[in-house]
Amino acid sequence: MTRALLTLGMVVLSLCREVGGMALLGFYTFVNLLRGRFDAKELVRNLYKMGVVSVPIVSLTALFTGGTMVIQSGIFVQRFQAYGLLGWGTGYAVLREVGPILIGLMFSGRVGANNAADLGSMVVTEQVDGLRALAIEPIPYLIVPRVLAMMLAMFCLLVLGDAVAIGGGMLFGKLLLGVDYASFYASFVDAIKLWDVTVGLLKGTFFALMIALTSCHYGLSVKGGAVGVGQSVNDAVVAAALLIMVSDDIWTMVLR
Amino acid sequence: MKSQRALTSWAASLRTQATQLGQIAMLVCVGAVRARRPKGELLRQLYQVGNRSLLFVLVTLGFTGMVLVFQSCLQLSRVTGDLSQVGGEFIKYLVHEFGPSLTAMMLATRVGAGIAAEIGSMVVTEQVDALRMCGVEPVEYLLVPRFLATLAMTLLLAVFGVLSAVMMGAFTAHQTFHVPYSVFLDLSKVKLPDVLTGCIKALSYGAAIPIVSGFCGLRTHGGSEGVGWATTRAVVSSSFAVIVLDFLISALALLSWQSM
Amino acid sequence: MIALDGIRKLHLDPVQPPVFDGISLRIAEGETCGLCGPGASGKSLLLKIICGLVRPEHGTVEVAGRDLGLASPDELRSIQSRIGYLFQNNALFDSMTVQENVAFPLRQRLRLGQEALDEQQILARVSESLRGVGLATHAAKMPSQLSGGQRKRVALARAVVARPPLLIYDEPTAGLDPVTTAKIYDLLGTEQKLTKSTTLIVSSDIDALRRFSDRMLMVYRGRLCYDGPSADMDESASPVVRQFVRGELEGPL
Repeated sequence: MTRALLTLGMVVLSLCREVGGMALLGFYTFVNLLRGRFDAKELVRNLYKMGVVSVPIVSLTALFTGGTMVIQSGIFVQRFQAYGLLGWGTGYAVLREVGPILIGLMFSGRVGANNAADLGSMVVTEQVDGLRALAIEPIPYLIVPRVLAMMLAMFCLLVLGDAVAIGGGMLFGKLLLGVDYASFYASFVDAIKLWDVTVGLLKGTFFALMIALTSCHYGLSVKGGAVGVGQSVNDAVVAAALLIMVSDDIWTMVLR
Repeated sequence: MKSQRALTSWAASLRTQATQLGQIAMLVCVGAVRARRPKGELLRQLYQVGNRSLLFVLVTLGFTGMVLVFQSCLQLSRVTGDLSQVGGEFIKYLVHEFGPSLTAMMLATRVGAGIAAEIGSMVVTEQVDALRMCGVEPVEYLLVPRFLATLAMTLLLAVFGVLSAVMMGAFTAHQTFHVPYSVFLDLSKVKLPDVLTGCIKALSYGAAIPIVSGFCGLRTHGGSEGVGWATTRAVVSSSFAVIVLDFLISALALLSWQSM
Repeated sequence: MIALDGIRKLHLDPVQPPVFDGISLRIAEGETCGLCGPGASGKSLLLKIICGLVRPEHGTVEVAGRDLGLASPDELRSIQSRIGYLFQNNALFDSMTVQENVAFPLRQRLRLGQEALDEQQILARVSESLRGVGLATHAAKMPSQLSGGQRKRVALARAVVARPPLLIYDEPTAGLDPVTTAKIYDLLGTEQKLTKSTTLIVSSDIDALRRFSDRMLMVYRGRLCYDGPSADMDESASPVVRQFVRGELEGPL
């Protein structure tokens, strides 16, 4: 009984430590950002490292996601012979829900995990202490540019991903279901409003903030060599996935 | 000229990687059949993969169920206002698409990263070489139990994930749109092909995740940074494998359903 | 026992010169060899090539009369299980206790059919081996609960427990204090007298290495620049070897 209570207490405490750590990190980032204290060169470097390099994986993910969504809507469409609805179904699913979530998860794997690993090995090899010794504060130099870069990169990647997914949807709709491009496009343009696109982009950018905070937090709290780095990266992606799924729900309820 | 050389070397490295992946997959499959596993290791891996991902899968799939039901009820109430079909269609979709695929996406991050981190740190600390020097094939010794555990647990966790999503979805429909539970929980739309497609998907994901992440883990080189890289690559590659497999199996299912 | 012929191993980075550029050497049965060289000269890599863990691009490796390049995976495994290897980072299995770690090679050899021992005999051998390195009371602990020197000694016990005809030690004393270093070399000496096995040691502690081994090898820029008795190393014709042995600042290194 005491043992169980002890375990429960430890779990709750560690949960508080992680959540509190992330919130504090977010707060400091925000404060430093408002004061304009961040390293612009680092921002550009990270934008390239996180944005440009992720273009292939995000495009491929988006292409297949568009295809899968067409297939899923296609089952409906064939049953009711409602070929005019394919563009609407695919577009709505991709732009509002599946696109941001899947691209967010891939982004978390590609960029978030990488970021945690990068920061983690900097901690393990005492480079972060080295920065402090050179009187360079880690947060404006390391964290703020990364958080900012991830949010910007995610926004741009989402715009690209949305376009590729819709294009993929059109392509596979033609190939697998025989719906021609014009009718797909017409139903897409008819039913999808700018608001749907905006909601998706807003959500995605918020996911990027979550990914950035989790990966920076877990990266900075690495302990113990190579094993610790692997463990931290693992924790970071799990926490990011959890936060993406939970915050998606909240966003959906708020932004109808 | 320079770009041409870069392209050739890229193609060559892609080919060696594909060969290695194929070799690992072969070794794992052979090892899985030849039951020569360390005792207790399979049980430990089942626990690692299954129990320790259960809560994660339940929470994420539960929230997804809420979102999906909320979205579809909202759209339908704008168009027709008839919400009696939502539950049945939702459960059908969950069984053959979202249940297995989202569970696998979650497992790709949770389990894939775990396998790569664990095997990667064993490579870096020379434990994998130590295994070889004891006359043990590391792929067989390390990867086969993880492969079997992930294969079994992906299917099982997908079932739990579907249950969680259905429950949360029914709750959302009841609370927000006043759809009674008895109307929402309509299993009549779930047919055998749906269940079959779902199972095939879950098993393919369960096979792909450990092989891809084990491959990434075994390729680790160079210190703590290398382990981080391997973990990253494992998450990306196994998530991508899930997305591609999802597309392929869905397309196959659609085509065979059409021809029937 | 070991025969290397024209070993050439390229650097991972194609711009760099090859790590080994034609290394040939023979080590007879029962010999004690020390291998030294400046940092990043590929000493550990050479050990891994000898064990078949790394394949060279050119040249042949023969261990106990078998060409490793031509051996099937099963054959290679059976050759490797007859080599006792002490790794630079110990490479103890984190998930096993000290006792299970030391018993692991024996159990695997049993599985491969190279050893006919029952469980009781295995445990006896393990505790004998652990007593030899002075850690009999730590059998039930996990490797993470031990100090650096203790881990090294467990790794040593694991390397020698199966009484392999070839023993390879990669930096057996790196990062240890002088007393522990002396203790480790004492243990290596006892083991060598007991089993008469061929021994190959890599170490940066050149004085202790020369005291221990009959024959010294030195690698520099991808080639063997010294191969001869330990005592003659000071009078070597090569200025590189002389500078390295005497630890001077002035010279070609």
